[in-house]
Amino acid sequence: MNRRVPLVVAGACFAALLGAAFVAPEHLGNIRPDLALKGPLDVFPFGTDTRGRSLWDYAAQGASVVAIPAFSAGIIVAIFGIVGGLLRCVGSERVNAMIQWFSEIVGALPRMVVILVVALLLPRDQRSLFPLAWTWAILAAPGAMDEAASVAERLGGSRFVEALRAHGYSASRIFLVHVVGFNLRPVVVRQGAETMMHVVFLEIALSYLALAENQPSFTHADSLKSWADLLKLGYPSLIPSLDYHSGHALLLALGLLGLVAVMSIAIGRSARAR
Amino acid sequence: MAACLLPFIVPAVITGFIWSLPGDPASLICPPNICGGTAALAERWNLDGGPMQFFLGWMADATTLEFGNSWRLHQGLPVLELLKEAIPTTVSLISVATLVIMAGAVMATRGWLPRRLDPVLRFVGLVPALVLALAGAAAIELTFGFGSFSESGKLARLLIGAAVLGVADGAFTGAALGTRTTFETENQSRYVGIAVLRGEQPLANTWPNVAPSVIGQMRARIIHLLSGAVVVEVVLRIDGLGDLLWGGTLRQDFGVVLAAATLFASVSAVLLVIQAVLETLVALHVRKAPSGVRVSG
Repeated sequence: MNRRVPLVVAGACFAALLGAAFVAPEHLGNIRPDLALKGPLDVFPFGTDTRGRSLWDYAAQGASVVAIPAFSAGIIVAIFGIVGGLLRCVGSERVNAMIQWFSEIVGALPRMVVILVVALLLPRDQRSLFPLAWTWAILAAPGAMDEAASVAERLGGSRFVEALRAHGYSASRIFLVHVVGFNLRPVVVRQGAETMMHVVFLEIALSYLALAENQPSFTHADSLKSWADLLKLGYPSLIPSLDYHSGHALLLALGLLGLVAVMSIAIGRSARAR
Repeated sequence: MAACLLPFIVPAVITGFIWSLPGDPASLICPPNICGGTAALAERWNLDGGPMQFFLGWMADATTLEFGNSWRLHQGLPVLELLKEAIPTTVSLISVATLVIMAGAVMATRGWLPRRLDPVLRFVGLVPALVLALAGAAAIELTFGFGSFSESGKLARLLIGAAVLGVADGAFTGAALGTRTTFETENQSRYVGIAVLRGEQPLANTWPNVAPSVIGQMRARIIHLLSGAVVVEVVLRIDGLGDLLWGGTLRQDFGVVLAAATLFASVSAVLLVIQAVLETLVALHVRKAPSGVRVSG
């Protein structure tokens, strides 16, 4: 399979997300009532909000809210997946039983309930997506570990390792190159990429729900705008009787969500075996 | 094991967190500049005797269905009353959504979902619950307008909410494609080929063997639906348990959140027990069948 196309797409999407996050302004631009709710053709590149401020600032600030926490959550899940696969290769029954116990407990909890409990306990002056993203990663870890363990099992588990040892391979080459690099890579990278996407969706959901009740978000400071603000701004355009011309904000929000989804799929495909 | 522990773990973890955060728990739950005499509040909320006293006291009360009063969301109202109002709505929502995903699983297994629809299903499965719920909310506003909180409007909210839950975040896609893959893998076994040669239906042979896996998948999907119910209920303004939990979280109402989160954990525990019972029944069935087969010597 040709991995070049998904690799390029994934790289481009990730670069766009990180680039937007790094150039995100600290505050939104000046209020320009004369430019309120202009479309992308009137005000480049994405149009304006109800106060005439560029939606680019919203997009960039939203990217800065999600980019690093989502990436870190993806890395955490990938690490858990690798650990799950390697432990299956080690073949310790006690360790596998402990992992199964951990998976049963964590996997049985509705994720959003745990996230809300963590959000509840976060001090208001320390609101950030990081703790929620890492919690999500821990909740997603059992699935990643299970799948990686299944791959390792199909590979032969401890017998595969013994066979390679018999060929004289070093432990680092067996575990890092053959087990992780050649066999676990597609699974753990895909799981990590999916978690990245889910964390972004989680942030938007939490911020939107808070916005809907005129409350501050759990995931970022009040001075920042999230992509949920774009959804909130664009939503009235779905109801024609409101005569609210903010469809460009809705399209931008959906486009950004699509970008994240495409990035996740592309990362997963680029990691597949040839 | 997990089923027994879950209803205790959730309140224990919340209690542990309350005491692990800097500052005294009473002032954390209600800052002194808002509540004034936090010592009196601590005594009233049983927070003055340490985490163990609070946890054991709360658990003892919970076993008699005494969850205390709401601290902030609906101040003074018994949490049990709030739960009683919310539970039937959420149960209806989750039940209908479960029917949606079960329909997906059955249709895929019976071959009623053509494979050329797979890309469409995969695309739909990527859409987050929030986006579909917003589309559903707009559809309700357009259809019912000011009457969207009438009885028919509420019913429409519930049905659209269930449809959103059943489809969003890959629920329908996962159920359809996951179950089909499970059956297809099993169909490649030798015993299925032999059964087909004997003129039997593959499903009758594979079902007892794949049932534990399908039951486990279904339980995981129902838990996924419970998780998504929070978003759907808030966006579509359905007065269910998810909406209650969200309101409690937003207003830092520990009384409501403790009870609602424990209830979610208890539902999850019950699902685990049901899964174990069904798996046992399937195992007994497999041990019993096939009847009337004799190996000729």
